[in-house]
Amino acid sequence: MKAVLFSLLAACGTGAVGGGETTALPAHQTRMLDTTPKERRRMVPPEVYLRAYLAWFGGLVPLDVQNRARPKGLFDAWDDYLSALGLPDYKTDLPRQNQSNTLMLATLGRLGEALCVRAAEHDLHGGKTPLEQRVVFAFEMPAANAGPEAAFAERFDVLHRTFLGYPVKLAPGDRAERFHALYKDVAARHASVKGPLTADETGWVAVCTALIEHPEAELY
Amino acid sequence: MMKRRTFLQLLGAGSATLAMRRPLFAATTDAPADEFFVFIHASGGWDVTLWADPRNERKGLVEPASTDNTDPAPLSHWKPTKLDGDTDTFEILSPANSGLRFGPGIGDLIDLHDRFTVVNGLAMNTVSHPDGTSFSCTGRHLAGGRSPAASIDVALTNELGTMQLLPDVSINFPSAYIGEHLDRRAIPLRVANAGVMAKSLARSDAYLRDDDRAAITALLSEEAHALAGHSVYPETFERLASQEQALPRLLGDQLKTVFTQKALQDAYPAFDYKAKNTGNGALGAAFAVEAMKRNLVRCMGFSLGGLDTHNQNYKQHAHTQQEIFGTIASLVKLLDATPHPNKHGVKLSEHTHILVFSDFCRTPQINLSGGRDHYPNNSALVISPRFVANKAFGKTDHEQVLPADASLDFSDGPRPISPPDLLATFLAAFAIEPRKYLRDGEVVKAMLRA
Repeated sequence: MKAVLFSLLAACGTGAVGGGETTALPAHQTRMLDTTPKERRRMVPPEVYLRAYLAWFGGLVPLDVQNRARPKGLFDAWDDYLSALGLPDYKTDLPRQNQSNTLMLATLGRLGEALCVRAAEHDLHGGKTPLEQRVVFAFEMPAANAGPEAAFAERFDVLHRTFLGYPVKLAPGDRAERFHALYKDVAARHASVKGPLTADETGWVAVCTALIEHPEAELY
Repeated sequence: MMKRRTFLQLLGAGSATLAMRRPLFAATTDAPADEFFVFIHASGGWDVTLWADPRNERKGLVEPASTDNTDPAPLSHWKPTKLDGDTDTFEILSPANSGLRFGPGIGDLIDLHDRFTVVNGLAMNTVSHPDGTSFSCTGRHLAGGRSPAASIDVALTNELGTMQLLPDVSINFPSAYIGEHLDRRAIPLRVANAGVMAKSLARSDAYLRDDDRAAITALLSEEAHALAGHSVYPETFERLASQEQALPRLLGDQLKTVFTQKALQDAYPAFDYKAKNTGNGALGAAFAVEAMKRNLVRCMGFSLGGLDTHNQNYKQHAHTQQEIFGTIASLVKLLDATPHPNKHGVKLSEHTHILVFSDFCRTPQINLSGGRDHYPNNSALVISPRFVANKAFGKTDHEQVLPADASLDFSDGPRPISPPDLLATFLAAFAIEPRKYLRDGEVVKAMLRA
């Protein structure tokens, strides 16, 4: 018995367990949780959108807009478009529309185009309006040595900030290139046509019209 | 491990069971893409005793239309008969070979009686204009002032019309687009009158031209697709893209010119555009014919009004009804004369389905001001090749003109027909499962042609 006990003690005595280096337990995989609120995009209420139109084009009152937009058949009267714009029409007891539709886009497009044309006439045509008095196309002509793409991007950025509220370099994808292609396309089509605006100015009207109807401008 | 034979047997049995569960909605009898729908709201609440449920005797609450309260001069179908003393009422019109009976308000539409279905004694449970209107076209009463369900035009467009350029045109019509499951292309294009459509589409060519606009909409469509790729909820952008894609076709030269007020009036002189109460609606009817002829729409809704007659203006109520039904008669005759856009040698009327309804009906008694107020009963009119024609369904009681048991073997026992029943039947006529759109209502198979 003593011999067994002795041999056990001897076994414990050799190679005693000592304090070794501790290593951290492997961590759980961590995953970032995006807790920002997410909602489906919705159509900007027509009143807000129209208010934005009026502000973008120089803080005009609705009647002034109507008067400015009407010449050359660009627009008619607000009364004609209340329901088509989604606004309630109390004369016919038609309620506010709570969904956008193709006709609403067409009507907003008609108004947007009219205002862009008038803004181009005021700001660009003839080149006499000082920069500080321009309402939409508030950009300097680019430096002489700037390439056509850079020149466009510089001026497009001004419009992008006006209508969509942030610099174009933060926009997803190749937005600047797409708009440049539109600008070149329209300008080329009007190069040989004698119209009330130059080909370059008409190109900018197209860019302005596209920006004012842009999904980011119509949804929030 | 299941054997292949066993699996196929189970699959076959399951399919057969599914097919048997929905016998009514599994058998589409015709290609639905060739059908057109016209919904007409006779706004204000009509007096059913002047047309679909005629009364010419004093009985219980009923004070019939008479020379004391109605101006019969402009009525083409007022045949006087003695009521009492110097007062005349009208003779009830009973077309030959028909069980239908009409009052003089039906006007010229009576000539087409063998093509329509009358539904009487519709249980409205409301005397409010907005509520009655919503109940009639959605099958639901308003909740907090808003419609809780999609209207019949939106339901049909969602099922059959999303590929059309103008899927659902709603001219002063109470359309409601409600429901997450609906295609955005079924959103009704709501306008106050038909002329606005052309104005919205009109563009000056002095600056930008159609080519330029097509380039703009193409760019916007691309932008919407690109944004959809970055979005948690891409469908909003995708649907905006689809609306943008439809724009160039809408803005094309043809549509701008054919839908102007003048062009429509010139093309369809059969309608009375100068009628006091129905002139605006007549333009909507002309728009409907032109748009169906060009296969642009699936559903058209418009309103023909002026029926809310609480005081002395009740004297003209029958005349207003005559104008409304006259417009509908002109519409049907035009559809008879117009070829179907897709089917050679087929008339448009063979594939057009018309539903006419009102908010509710008017009281059987005359009030102190000489008019009639709101009453929770109603009638409706269906002109559709899918419905049993030349027949009236439902009834009212003799003394109070209130909805009575329709003797139609409803699953919940004897009761009158209600608007959800009529709407469910209308959907079922096109093999559409009514429960997808209607909480209530039972299909009245007796109304449908075999």
